[in-house]
Amino acid sequence: MPRLPAPDRIPLTGADCFLRAFDSEVRRTAGASHLAQLVLRLGPGLDAGALAKLVAEVAEAQPILRAPIRRRYGLLPPEFRLDLAVRAPMPRVEIHDAPRANGEAPLPPLFAERLNERVDGRRGELFRCDVVRYAGGAAGSDVAFTWLHMLLDGSGSERFVRWLDEVGRGARSAADLRDEAPSDSVGSGARADGEAAMRWRARMRSLAARAPRSLAGPLARVPQRLEVDVATFTREETERIGARARKLAGFLTPMLFYLAASVRAHAAVFALRGIDPRSFVVPLPVNLRAKGAGGAIFGTRVSMLWFQALPELCGDLEGLLGELKAQRLSAIKDGMVEAGAAAMRFARWMPRSAYARMARRTFGGELCSFFFAYTDECLPGMTSFLGAPIRNAFHAPSVPPSPGSGAIFSIREGRLNFSHVRQAGVFSGFELVRFRESLRADLLGADE
Amino acid sequence: MEWTREALTKRVYEILRDDLLSVGADFTPRSNLIDAGLDSLAVTQLLLAIEESTGVWVDESLLTEETLASAESLAACVHAQIASA
Repeated sequence: MPRLPAPDRIPLTGADCFLRAFDSEVRRTAGASHLAQLVLRLGPGLDAGALAKLVAEVAEAQPILRAPIRRRYGLLPPEFRLDLAVRAPMPRVEIHDAPRANGEAPLPPLFAERLNERVDGRRGELFRCDVVRYAGGAAGSDVAFTWLHMLLDGSGSERFVRWLDEVGRGARSAADLRDEAPSDSVGSGARADGEAAMRWRARMRSLAARAPRSLAGPLARVPQRLEVDVATFTREETERIGARARKLAGFLTPMLFYLAASVRAHAAVFALRGIDPRSFVVPLPVNLRAKGAGGAIFGTRVSMLWFQALPELCGDLEGLLGELKAQRLSAIKDGMVEAGAAAMRFARWMPRSAYARMARRTFGGELCSFFFAYTDECLPGMTSFLGAPIRNAFHAPSVPPSPGSGAIFSIREGRLNFSHVRQAGVFSGFELVRFRESLRADLLGADE
Repeated sequence: MEWTREALTKRVYEILRDDLLSVGADFTPRSNLIDAGLDSLAVTQLLLAIEESTGVWVDESLLTEETLASAESLAACVHAQIASA
């Protein structure tokens, strides 16, 4: 019988360890941490002081929010050490005042700065919150939740914010959270996992026949200075983009439409530079939560499907989409979702820098071409947060200095948000204009 | 084996209930699949399971919000494809 985890320790999932490897990579090359962020742009009505008290109350009741991440005996798979949380610092909540109204104004630069910080997961520095109030909150507020990426994935962070709101409204208590234990928390089926991991490794090696290039280039060692901009499309544009995505990529797989457009936008920048990208290799996160269940909040519950686009296919959006669709189907048929999860589970036993070293060796020094995510509707059905109307909401995860570019798409109340997270200096001003032109043209169609 | 529409509905419903979705006793062949948590990965896994049972690969382009409304409507779509194969 596999040993069940003690209630004061929660093993990291395989995907957590995958992200921990990225964290190690970012610390080594850029001196920062691998963080993620969910931003809420709110109308008037938020009591920022009450939010600060609420976060403290929740962190008291849910110690995972400040649980040091440690390996038992320095060797076994890492765990969230709930038993050590009492000695860890409480999550920080900072309230900042700004004079103007937010509306569609640019994001506070503070939010990108938060993504450039270094936190210490071993000390339980996992989560923080920043509120920027406009005219004392009378003109609205922006709220950024920022966390070490292995604490929450995109879907979990939305569930957490929803749950936080329910606690704040008194609809439930801070202790009332029955989170699922990670499904892959115990080491059963090590041999099957090993075999699946080898299948996954073979797939990665097959991609390496045309190893990718990123716009940042391999092994960039520069202090992390991430820039984030978020383009929000109008409802009319989003409707048109959605119709195009369904027509070209199918009802089931709109994410491939956004992936293809992102590949072509990066290809347009390579063309400007006159550099052969060799190929575009991009991981697509796949949610592994049980379908239809309440679902887990903490820990990352994803696998990765890896796509490869050859430059010769990038000239034609529809042709590229056909190739990506075929790759998706073949990968699912070949069990690559499960194999990817198994490989990540297997990696829990490896030193945390090992995954990145292995990936770079396989891909000629690169990790991948760029990061990509499509998270569909952000906070569906949730119209307010602690009494303040939600005007917009989106994700902004950090991106290591190499590949240096991340394209994240989500939809909020009928408006598409495109978060472009990039390392400063990876795109010149002219390249950024070309990148945006290409993306917009593909999303909206030629007769835009 | 000849697949009637009723047999297909039963098979699709069983795959969804037992293998793909985490649903309670209130899940029926008429329950809305998107509301029940069906996502694109689960749909593709469902199509693979249907292919294994019937030998017919359902063209993904036939899947719409309407065909994925319930196990019943999805089975009707699969049945039409089998009939035309």
